[in-house]
Amino acid sequence: MAQTDFETLTAYAKCFAGLTPEREKLLVEIGPTVSPALPRITEAFYGTLAAIPATAPFLEGRLDLLKQTHLRWLNGLFTGPFDVDYTKALYKVGYVHVKVNLPVEFMAGGMTLISDRLITEIDRIYSGEDPLRLGALGAVNAILGFSLLVMQQSFQNSSLHEELEKFLKITGMSRALFNNLTAVYSKSK
Amino acid sequence: MRADMLTSILQELNGTSADIEASGIISTDGLIMAAVLPQGLDEDRLGAMSAAMLSLGDRTAQELGRGTLEQVLIKGAKGYVLMAYAGSEAVLTILAKPNAKLGLIFLDVKRAAENIASLI
Repeated sequence: MAQTDFETLTAYAKCFAGLTPEREKLLVEIGPTVSPALPRITEAFYGTLAAIPATAPFLEGRLDLLKQTHLRWLNGLFTGPFDVDYTKALYKVGYVHVKVNLPVEFMAGGMTLISDRLITEIDRIYSGEDPLRLGALGAVNAILGFSLLVMQQSFQNSSLHEELEKFLKITGMSRALFNNLTAVYSKSK
Repeated sequence: MRADMLTSILQELNGTSADIEASGIISTDGLIMAAVLPQGLDEDRLGAMSAAMLSLGDRTAQELGRGTLEQVLIKGAKGYVLMAYAGSEAVLTILAKPNAKLGLIFLDVKRAAENIASLI
């Protein structure tokens, strides 16, 4: 599998999600105001997951650790910098999700829950300050979209890698042979 | 020098039997070492496919308790593909006509594989 080009992925994800330098700056600016609400969002997030029969088993025995990690990530949405290192850290999340066999829809579903809570909080905090409220909502939407794109990319690549490893193990084929086989057929397209 | 000697073995193999249409020596990673092929046959594909088939054949023989793999034979409407190890790091592949005398082919391939193994 090809090494991930994090520079390209960062630029691509930002472009796709609309995470502009202005929105990055705004996220950091509103951070101190928004951050007191974040622990509440984490609690609500895991409260919802615990009530869904399909997701609850994944929380067993690790809820406190998950909440700490989640809160750290939420705070990161409002501190930045949103650079290649930030992308690399997000990319690891997708990989970890595959390792613990989380179904693919958990990331999009989870992001929807978070988005819902953050929208509610931002709306409450900046009620009556329409330009700032709308700007903040746009920035939050962009950083969440960026995050999901990077994590899903990683999830997909990690899933493919796991499936390939299984295939190579079952067939006894070496990685070198597999790479040469695909190279021959890629070149002759 | 060694590539020439390997090619020479293949030319002799192809010449020994009118039923053999093509032959190649491939590394176990699927890379061509020497080949005597007719026009229009892609040596890279021959190499990669042969190594892949032999690798899978190896695994199948082990999993199904057939012992160490000796050969893989594919029979198609237009002829045969026969693959055999030539030492531990190379594969000999031949393409034969549909009406080929397989007994003779097996013998010729076995001898050629032994010669190749001694060279590699």
